[in-house]
Amino acid sequence: MALIRVFFIVLVVLSVIYVSLSLYSRARCRDKLEAEWDAGGIADPRDRFVRDGLKDYDGSLRRKLILGVYIVPLMLVCLIIYFVNFA
Amino acid sequence: MRYIGWTLLIAFWMLLAGILHYTLPQKDVVRIVNTYEERQELNDWTRVFWSRPDAQSDELVNRDVQFIQTVQANGRPMVYRNEDTGWSWPPYFKFDTANLYTQAADSVSAKDAPEWYVITHYGWRNEFLSVFPNAVALRAVAGPDAPKGTPWVNIIVLLTLGVLLSAIWVRWRRFRRARIDPTLEGLQDNWEAAGDAVEARRGKFRRWLKSWRD
Repeated sequence: MALIRVFFIVLVVLSVIYVSLSLYSRARCRDKLEAEWDAGGIADPRDRFVRDGLKDYDGSLRRKLILGVYIVPLMLVCLIIYFVNFA
Repeated sequence: MRYIGWTLLIAFWMLLAGILHYTLPQKDVVRIVNTYEERQELNDWTRVFWSRPDAQSDELVNRDVQFIQTVQANGRPMVYRNEDTGWSWPPYFKFDTANLYTQAADSVSAKDAPEWYVITHYGWRNEFLSVFPNAVALRAVAGPDAPKGTPWVNIIVLLTLGVLLSAIWVRWRRFRRARIDPTLEGLQDNWEAAGDAVEARRGKFRRWLKSWRD
């Protein structure tokens, strides 16, 4: 069925985007933490400071916002279907 | 080499402009004259100008297509096809073909008592290839000169696309400046240094020859 085919293709594409974006965002967070430690004035050892910072990041809103990669296109499709067929 | 680059560039932008012009919605003010169905052959390359409303239609070599006959405000005829786009390209997700057909049939008006409608559509009309634009929506307006409304969809899509393309372009330029240009310059420097060395050696040889003549 066409719907399943489209769903599958879109799912794969969005998953690739989601995974890349997650990895990129986490790497940037790590860079920032390392730069923060390198600026000096932090008593913790470097790797523990970075590890704690990343643990905070894992529970943060920023990480959950990346789920928008799936939600935004889905909402967009629903919106288009509504406006084209029912509005 | 420069001509090839320019040709590719122009071809790319024209292709993009063509795809956008075909796919984005446009609006016409029309008077609806009639609706009809006709069996269409779908077995040559002009298949790309017809929809794929459902999975079964992929294998058909012909099927019935609904049409909406109209006359534009300037008196010229325009015929629209009326097909589901379903889940395929372009992403209009149109499923209400039968409803639109009913609405169009209900909106038929005669020349001496015209009723005007804004018909939203995408696609091109081409008489030679028998290509028809696909009607998407129908809305009554006051007269043939009535405003068609702000094309919000086109504004949003084009703006988004522009932002996306310029973001990619800026990043590519930054990447080129940081990674590719220095490498190329390094190559050029090496090449020039080699040339200078050869030149210097040749100069020495010339001077030595000259020393024999003097």
